[in-house]
Amino acid sequence: MIEFRGVSKTYPGSLHPVVNDLSFEILDGEICVLVGPSGCGKTTSMRMINRLIEPSEGEILIDGEPNTAMSGTKLRRHIGYAIQQIGLFPHRTIADNIATVPQLLDWDKIRIERRVDELLQLVGLDPAQYRGRYPAELSGGQQQRVGVARAMAADPPIMLMDEPFGAVDPITRNRLQDEFLRIQEEINKTIVFVTHDIDEAIKMGDKLAILKEGGVLAQYDTPEKILAAPNSEFVSSFVGADRVLKRLSLLRVSDMELDSTNGDGDDLPRISERTNLKDALSELIGAGAERGVVVSNGDGARGTLSIETIRRLSHQAEAEQRYE
Amino acid sequence: MSSLVASLALQNLGPKVLDWNWISRNFSHEIIPAIIGHIYLSFVSVTIALVISLPTGIIVSRYRKAYPPVTFITGLLFSIPSLAFFALLVTVPGVGLGPRAVIIALVAYSLLVLIRNVVAGMDSVPEETKDAARGMGLTSRQILFKVELPLALPVIVAGIRIATVTIIGIATIGAYISGGGLGELIFTGISRNFPTRIIVGAVLATLLAVLADLSLLAIERYLRPWARTRRT
Amino acid sequence: MDSILKVFQRPDFLAQLVVHIELSVIALLIGITVAMPVALLVYRSRLWSAVAINTGNIGRAVPSLAILALVFPLLGFGFAPSLVALTLLAIPPILINASTGLRQVNPQIIDAARGMGLSNGQVLGHIQLPIAAPVIFAGIRTSAVQVVASATLATFIGGGGLGELIVLGFQRNELAIQLGGSLAVAILAIITEVGFGLLERAFTPKGLLVTSNHRSK
Ligand SMILES: Nc1ncnc2c1ncn2[C@@H]1O[C@H](COP(=O)(O)OP(=O)(O)OP(=O)(O)O)[C@@H](O)[C@H]1O
Ligand SMILES: [Mg+2]
Repeated sequence: MIEFRGVSKTYPGSLHPVVNDLSFEILDGEICVLVGPSGCGKTTSMRMINRLIEPSEGEILIDGEPNTAMSGTKLRRHIGYAIQQIGLFPHRTIADNIATVPQLLDWDKIRIERRVDELLQLVGLDPAQYRGRYPAELSGGQQQRVGVARAMAADPPIMLMDEPFGAVDPITRNRLQDEFLRIQEEINKTIVFVTHDIDEAIKMGDKLAILKEGGVLAQYDTPEKILAAPNSEFVSSFVGADRVLKRLSLLRVSDMELDSTNGDGDDLPRISERTNLKDALSELIGAGAERGVVVSNGDGARGTLSIETIRRLSHQAEAEQRYE
Repeated sequence: MSSLVASLALQNLGPKVLDWNWISRNFSHEIIPAIIGHIYLSFVSVTIALVISLPTGIIVSRYRKAYPPVTFITGLLFSIPSLAFFALLVTVPGVGLGPRAVIIALVAYSLLVLIRNVVAGMDSVPEETKDAARGMGLTSRQILFKVELPLALPVIVAGIRIATVTIIGIATIGAYISGGGLGELIFTGISRNFPTRIIVGAVLATLLAVLADLSLLAIERYLRPWARTRRT
Repeated sequence: MDSILKVFQRPDFLAQLVVHIELSVIALLIGITVAMPVALLVYRSRLWSAVAINTGNIGRAVPSLAILALVFPLLGFGFAPSLVALTLLAIPPILINASTGLRQVNPQIIDAARGMGLSNGQVLGHIQLPIAAPVIFAGIRTSAVQVVASATLATFIGGGGLGELIVLGFQRNELAIQLGGSLAVAILAIITEVGFGLLERAFTPKGLLVTSNHRSK
């Protein structure tokens, strides 16, 4: 668990703090996304966790211990670190890049080799082909994968990722995000993920910490809760006018209480129970139908879902919204 | 040990070292002509070198295969120590002692830097820019003179700067083969063991080189407004 | 031609060749020993590296004959004063290239290294120096070539070296000696240039030589 306790940062020579009295907890095994407009202090907040930046006030606890309990370098060897610009070492092979921290930790050679291959496999690069290459011989997306693999090398319980998929095209980014979520299912790390892209935040985060200018925490909650009930004008406009639809995209048809089939339904559109509500809504509107038949994998009809149900759900959320 | 060096230095640097009387007596008929001779040698050499390097550089930037041999040959010339170069040149029939040999050597020394920078300058012009010019109907001659050369100019001037500074330095050695210039003061000073001449020659040659460096740097900055506006 | 070959067999040719190499090697080694620590001290600070680089640039503008000539009234005639002058000539190119080379290393790469827990010394030794190595070696190569060339001038202040033969040839009006000395110096300079070029390549990490059309951005 990572705990921010009243953390502020004012850069020397500056009057205003760029991170202001930040207090929140990041639970083990969760992806916590720090999100907010450019310059709001996301990177600064993240870099205080592994002490690349020292806070001016407050403290950060890791598993109950202040992160100042050990030296900065030792601390950083146990926290994975991946950044947007990737920062792969151009003079080292992919294998040596990934092996950086294990080498610092004096792992034996065979163990390092095995780990490198395992990680390359995990991020979808064929070890035999890529082990000996240099960063300049990889595409942008492949470099990002290596950056992530390098951050995971010594199997750190915590990983810090600053816009790790920022430097690639949207299609590659989408694929890297999916891959990473799949990997996280396996490795279950505590991850602090920085992005300024709200869609990426909603997709990746178990929790979102929305920061606003001046490094103030505007809201900290699950994406569903934030979309359903933004606590301020700022959060509401930051998550976007389409937040109702965004929220629908987080919910699955299988999560809904369905109406009974009532015998009719042959002429109704069919919706897989694994689609999300946003896509289901789109299908219904597209088919010009008020209701659709929800089917599970085995093609068995599970019930029907109506546009009205979806509307009620969205409206309910809208009504819950109260600004302070 | 160090006190010995210090006292030696002090002794040598006494009033006799810099004979101001000699300087004022010989200012107009020895020092000024030496300065002018030095500037003349350097200026003529850089100009000739530029006349050779510009077309060569432009051609080489188009016919890329010619670039490695050109840099190889000019690089070879560049790495020959100047005293040796001068000594070899004066033995060539028709050259002999005097400014001519010095100028030939100085031109040879400038070629590498100048050609390299002309090519780099031409390379620095973005392909899109040339494409746009072509799209607007400019002929390749117009593109060369109106687009490529103006855009390459800062890099070319940077080359002129390096070449000029190098040449001003090497020109001092030219005095050994009767090329004239500030080296004359240095060599006669050494052979007559008269420090004032040495110091005047060496200091003026240094000043000339540093001045040329700074003023050409100013021109280079002026031609590169995007580098000038960088805030500190 | 024969007479030139005979020059290479003269006992003083070998002696002066040795002096020439001694002067050059010692001046270069001292130059590296002085310039590298200074570069390592200043490169972190924008102000101090600007000071070092500009001083180096002015130093490079000073004609080598001027430096040798100025050392003479201060320290006198001989091997040691020549060595001092050549060392002064050796420093600027190394200082300039080492400072710029170390500063040029992409800050994101350094950040990544620090973020993974490399200590300052490890960042310097494992990351910055290897990446800056080609630029640093280019500086050492420039310096070496310049020192070998300028050592020819040491003869004017009694430092010896192959320049001695060239001057001897001039004084006695013996073409063979003049040409033999010049050729020897030219060959020595070209060997230096080529040799250090090879060294430079050897010290360039392989990953920095790879160019590819894959590079992102
Ligand atoms: N070393 C520094 N010295 C002074 N000010 C800094 C420094 N680093 C960052 N800042 C300032 O602190 C503020 C927050 O910076 P930070 O990098 O944390 O923002 P960010 O949220 O990560 O922004 P982005 O989305 O653009 O990456 C900015 O206004 C920035 O200008
Ligand atoms: Mg940032």
